[in-house]
Amino acid sequence: MANVAVPSAGVVAKKKKMDSSFFKKGIFTAFISGVAYGLYTAFMTLGMAKGVWADYFYASPAKSTSGIALSAFVVTYLLGSLGSALNDTCSGIWCVIIALVKGKFGDYVKTLNSRAGRILILCAIIGGPIASSAYVIGLQMAGSIAVPISALCPAVGAILGRIFYKQELNLRMIFGILICVVATFMIGSTTLGDTNKNAFWGIVIAFISAVGWGFEGCVGGYATCMVDFEISITIRQVTSGISNLIILLPLWSLLAGENITLGWRLAGEAISNWTIIFFIVSGFFAQYSYARWYKGNSMCGAALGMALNGMFSFWGPFCCWIIIGLIAGIDGYALAPIQWAAAIVMIIGIFFIAMNPLDLFRKKNTEEA
Amino acid sequence: MAKKLPLNYAILKYFTTVGEACADDVIDALKGDYANYKAFKKPAIVEALMTAKANGLIDETRFDEDANGDVRIYYATDPDSAAVIKKYIPD
Repeated sequence: MANVAVPSAGVVAKKKKMDSSFFKKGIFTAFISGVAYGLYTAFMTLGMAKGVWADYFYASPAKSTSGIALSAFVVTYLLGSLGSALNDTCSGIWCVIIALVKGKFGDYVKTLNSRAGRILILCAIIGGPIASSAYVIGLQMAGSIAVPISALCPAVGAILGRIFYKQELNLRMIFGILICVVATFMIGSTTLGDTNKNAFWGIVIAFISAVGWGFEGCVGGYATCMVDFEISITIRQVTSGISNLIILLPLWSLLAGENITLGWRLAGEAISNWTIIFFIVSGFFAQYSYARWYKGNSMCGAALGMALNGMFSFWGPFCCWIIIGLIAGIDGYALAPIQWAAAIVMIIGIFFIAMNPLDLFRKKNTEEA
Repeated sequence: MAKKLPLNYAILKYFTTVGEACADDVIDALKGDYANYKAFKKPAIVEALMTAKANGLIDETRFDEDANGDVRIYYATDPDSAAVIKKYIPD
């Protein structure tokens, strides 16, 4: 066995600082992913309230630019998916540009045909077309209440992590999950008696996004510890954008009893409309958010990374309020006090899932000692 | 001629071929194939190694100080982690 020299106190201190810097960078990375998520939500929602989208959603009867009458089914489901498809496609284009600029595009192509790459593609389909559409449809049907509902994904991720990878799920984490469920009911209590009959189903559909993103964070996070995070997110967003456009839009068109090309025609209208600028901006923030989500998860662990990212339950409504409500002057984006309170309760629950709050004090005491 | 792996794969794969290694060893071993990569920089490789360690793919074995006064951390894989790496990144 090699004779290993004991490092000096100075080297040990440097090593501790290095570890601490890495951990703090992971926390900041995951935290900023939640802020960017709020910005992406706000710009996408704003885009879907202007231009051709206003004709789709608010004209009576709803109609496309070329005069096609749009049924309630098309307005709710197909347009929700269209918004998600445009956002993810713009995001995927941003990812490819960044990969090209950073010289990672070759590795992206090679990674696609590897085991981790295929896992990331599966995660992209579940977290992309399925979960993102559920999120957008939930937003359309239930408003920004959908944001904290979809923020249950860390809870789902913790449960799936236990099932798939035998990860830790102790009483404290279960307690955190229960806090999140209570917060969900607090939010639901403000809308279930509302005149908007779609709110309840909007919440149910938004929960599908929580399941999808929980799966993605759990399974994709594991694959990403082997793949560069910007390559992972390029796989995720390109797969999601393409599958949204070529699978989901025709599927919703057929389910609506319309011509299979209706979704693509509406996509053409939306892309050629000035509101596409909002999707270009939301796509940028989406790639930034998801890339940091993956990176944060891989740096400080999926549970803590997902909990910090899950703070988008606050940043989503906050950014919608600032950008859509205050800057764009559109009413209806202010949340009721109980909804704000519920979002905070949910954040507390998410932290219980991720970590023992007492550890923060213990760590502080250790550092002081 | 062997197909060139993505950089992060090559870094992890390298650890299945050596007892232990630090970031400088990784750079020396891979510079022939990856020196022209923009991401092939020591800070990025150090971060990749710390990330792999955080996810249990490699373990720290020891650390010391290099000639520049920087901390030099050595890592290695155990048989289980090596098997996981080989499963995800076959030869």
